Amino acid sequence: MSIAVVTDSTSDLPVELAKEHGITVVPLNVHIEDETYLDGVTISADEMYRRLPDQKVIPTTSAPSVGTFLELYEKLAETHDEIISIHISARLSLTHGAAVNAAALMKENGTRVKVIDTEQASLALGWTAVLVAERVAAGGSLDEAVELAKSASKRASFVGMVNTLEYLVRGGRIGKAQGLVGTLLRIRPILTLIDGEAHPAGRARNRTKGITRIKEMVAEAAPLDKLAILYTTDKADAEAIAKDVAEFAPGGTPIVAQLGPVVGNYVGPGTLGLGLVSSESADSGNAG
Amino acid sequence: MSRSNTNIPSGTSSRLTDMIRATTKAIEANRDTINALNVFPVPDGDTGTNMLLTLRSVVDDLPTNSTESANNVAKTIARSALLGARGNSGLILAQYFKGLAEAIGDATELTGEHFARSIRLASDNAYKALPNPVEGTMLTVYRECAEVAEQSANADNDLVSVMSDVATEAIESVRRTPSLLPVLKEAEVVDSGGFGFAVMLDGALRALTGENPAGRTIPVPMPTGTNFSGMVKTDFVDASEETDWGYCTVFAIHAENIDIDKLRNHMDQIGRSPVVDGTNGLAKVHVHMEDPGKALSAGIKYGELSNIEIANMDDQTSDWAADRRESGHSPQDNQPQEQVEIAVVAVAVGQGLSDLIISAGLGATSVLEGGDTMNPSVSELLKAVESAPSNNVILLPNNKNVLPAALEVPALTKKEVRVIPTRSVQTGVAALLEFSTQLNLDENTEAMTDILGDVGDGRVCQATRDVTIHGHKIVKGMSFATFDDDIVAVGREPLFVLSKMIEAKIEGADIITVYTGESVTPEQAESTTETLESKFDNVEFEVVYGGQPHYDYLVAVE
Repeated sequence: MSIAVVTDSTSDLPVELAKEHGITVVPLNVHIEDETYLDGVTISADEMYRRLPDQKVIPTTSAPSVGTFLELYEKLAETHDEIISIHISARLSLTHGAAVNAAALMKENGTRVKVIDTEQASLALGWTAVLVAERVAAGGSLDEAVELAKSASKRASFVGMVNTLEYLVRGGRIGKAQGLVGTLLRIRPILTLIDGEAHPAGRARNRTKGITRIKEMVAEAAPLDKLAILYTTDKADAEAIAKDVAEFAPGGTPIVAQLGPVVGNYVGPGTLGLGLVSSESADSGNAG
Repeated sequence: MSRSNTNIPSGTSSRLTDMIRATTKAIEANRDTINALNVFPVPDGDTGTNMLLTLRSVVDDLPTNSTESANNVAKTIARSALLGARGNSGLILAQYFKGLAEAIGDATELTGEHFARSIRLASDNAYKALPNPVEGTMLTVYRECAEVAEQSANADNDLVSVMSDVATEAIESVRRTPSLLPVLKEAEVVDSGGFGFAVMLDGALRALTGENPAGRTIPVPMPTGTNFSGMVKTDFVDASEETDWGYCTVFAIHAENIDIDKLRNHMDQIGRSPVVDGTNGLAKVHVHMEDPGKALSAGIKYGELSNIEIANMDDQTSDWAADRRESGHSPQDNQPQEQVEIAVVAVAVGQGLSDLIISAGLGATSVLEGGDTMNPSVSELLKAVESAPSNNVILLPNNKNVLPAALEVPALTKKEVRVIPTRSVQTGVAALLEFSTQLNLDENTEAMTDILGDVGDGRVCQATRDVTIHGHKIVKGMSFATFDDDIVAVGREPLFVLSKMIEAKIEGADIITVYTGESVTPEQAESTTETLESKFDNVEFEVVYGGQPHYDYLVAVE
C-alpha cells in the first residue's frame, strides 16, 4: 500500500528536494500579457523578476484547473493506493478548491484523496509536504499523514520582508497587512501568514535592521524541524543570513531557496524571508 | 455636615479660596517674566502660562459659596489642579495642591502647621512625580520652603506668620538656584518655576493680610552681582507669535450682570473672529488670539471664567485633530473608527508629524496636539485616552515636559494605559514603528520601550535671544543644534548646523531621519537631502516633512 504526496508550486520546493522526497508539484499558472506560463516550468523565477518591474501589464496568477488535478490524481492512482494533496492557503488561491473538487471525483473512482489547506505558502507549505513525505516513507498511514500535515502547518511560518507593499496591494493579497500601507516613512514591512492571510509581523526602519529582525525571528521560533532562508533576487543576502542562523537549522545548514514566480509576483524583487517549521516542543515559545 | 459647628470660624474656606484667587492674579501679573526666565535647553517659554492655566482650572472649580468646609474645598482644588495641570511646572504645582488637601485632612481650618505640612508633602510628592528630579528647580524651592515652614510653624502656628517666613525664604531659594543648576547661571537667569511659586506665595500672603495682589509685579531675585535683563517675549513664545499662530479660545463668564455688547467690542479689539453671546449671568466667548491669555485676562474683568478651552489653530492641525477626536473618524478612510485590540495616542504638533504618526500607526493611532509651547494638560491627555477606540491604550507623550502629565493618566481611567517614555516626537515615531497588532499590550510596551535606547534625537533651531550655554556663545538669530540635551553645533545656516551635528553623531548609525520644520521650503528640503547624501557615506537618509514649528530640523539617529 503506497501513498502519493502532492503539493503545488507555491510551496517553492527546490526541484531536487521535491524529487528526493518523491513529491509531485502541480504548477499554478502565470499570465503575462497574453501569454500563460506554468509556474517554475515554462517561466523561471529569475525571468519573472527580470520582467516584473517593467511590466506595463500587471502579471496575474491562476490556480490549476480541476481537470489538471483530476488528470494527475488518476495518473498517480495507477501506482498508488491513496493520495495526500497539500496546498496553499485557500484564502490566497483557488488551488485548494480545485484539488477538493478533483478529489471528490476520485472518490467515485474508489481512490482516497485527502486534500489539506495548510493556510500557508512558500516553504512553510513546502516543508509541511516534506515532513509528510518523510512520515509516509517511514510507513505512516494516510490518517497519520493528514494529522501530521495539520499539525506541521500550524507550527510552520512563512515570513517575508518586502521592499514595497505595492505588489501585494496590486495583487489583492494585502490581507490584514492593510494597516502598513501608506506609511509616509520608508520602512521595510515584514509580513507573515496567520490563519492563511497576510498579517504585519514587524516594520524595519531599513534593510539592515530588517535582516537583523529576520535573524531574531529564527531564534524566537527555535528549536526547529526545518529552516529555509528565502529570497527573490538577492541570493547573497539570503546566504549571509543562512550563515548567521546556521546554529538553529536542523543538521546545521539551512537551505537557501528562491521564491517562485507566483509567490514572487506578490512580494516582488528584493524580498528576503523565512520558511520554517518549529519543533513540536517549541509550541509555547513560537513567535507565530 | 459641619455647617452649624461653632468651632469653625466663619469664612474658613473663603480664606482658602481668596488665597487661590490671589495666587492666580499674582501669576497673571508676572507671567511674562516667568515665561522669559524659562530659557533652556530649548526655551519652552511657557512656564508662566502653564502655571497660570493650571491655576485657572483650579479657580474654575472653586465653590461660589463660602459654606463649604476647607477640607472639602482643598480636595476639589487638588483634583482640579491635577486635571488642569499643564506642563512640568503645572504638574509640580498640582503636587502642591495635593499636599494641601492631604495636610488639611479632616480639619476644617487652615493653620500654619497645615501649611507647613502641605509644602513638605508637595516637596516629597514632586520629587517622586518626576522621573529625574533636578536641583536648582521648583523642587529645590519646595524643599527649602518646607524646612523653613516647619521651623516657623513650631515657633508660631499662626498661618500669616508661617506664610510670611516661607514667602521670604522662597525668594532667597530662587536666588540660589543658579548656583545649583549651571545652565541657569550660564543663561543668567533663575529658575522660572521656582520664581513662579515665590510669586504665588507673595500673592497668597497679600490676600491673607487684606491686600489686593492684582497687577503687582515682583522683581526677579537674581544672584548678587547679576541682573535679569528683564527682556520679555524674547523666547519661544515670541517665536510662536512671529509664525502667526493663533489659538481658538473659548470660555464662559459668570457674573450677575454682563454687558454683552461691551464684552463683544472688547474681544473684537484684542482678537479676531469673536463670537460672544449670553444671557443674564452667563456669557460665552469664542475668539481667535495669538495669546489666549489676553482673551482670558480681558474676560476675567467681566466676571468669573469657566469651561476654558484653548485650541491651537496652526496649519488647521487642531481643527483636523479635533474633528478626529470628536467624531471618532479616522482621517484616512472617513469610516467610523472600529474598536481595536490596542489603540495608541501620540502627542505631536505639526501637520506633517501628525500625518506621519497616523500613517505609521497601523490604523489604531490618534494624535493629540501639543508640544513645547502648548503642553497638553492631564485632562486633555485623559480625554484623548478615553476617546481612543480600545480599552487598552498606549500613550506616547513625545516630549519630556509632557511625560509627567502622561504618567498621571493611568491612575485616572478604568482603561489599561501604558505610557512609553518617549522624550521627543522622533523617538515617538521610532517607538510607534515597533507597535504590532500581533503583540499584546505588555509585549508592545516592552518592544516600544526597548527601542528608545537605540534612537538618538537631535534638533536644530534658532536662538531667540543671546545666550551662553555650556560655554557656547549663541547670538540671537543663530542656529544651534542640541543632541540628547547637549549643544553639539552652532552656526549661521540651519543646514550647516545640521551637517555638523550629524558629523558628530553619525558613528554607528545606519539610518538618519530628518523631519523638516514649517520654515523649511520644499526646495530647501531637497537640497538638505542632496547635501547629506553627498557628504556622508554608509548611512541611509530619509528627509520627510514634519511641519513642526520652532525647529528647522528634528533628527533621529538609529
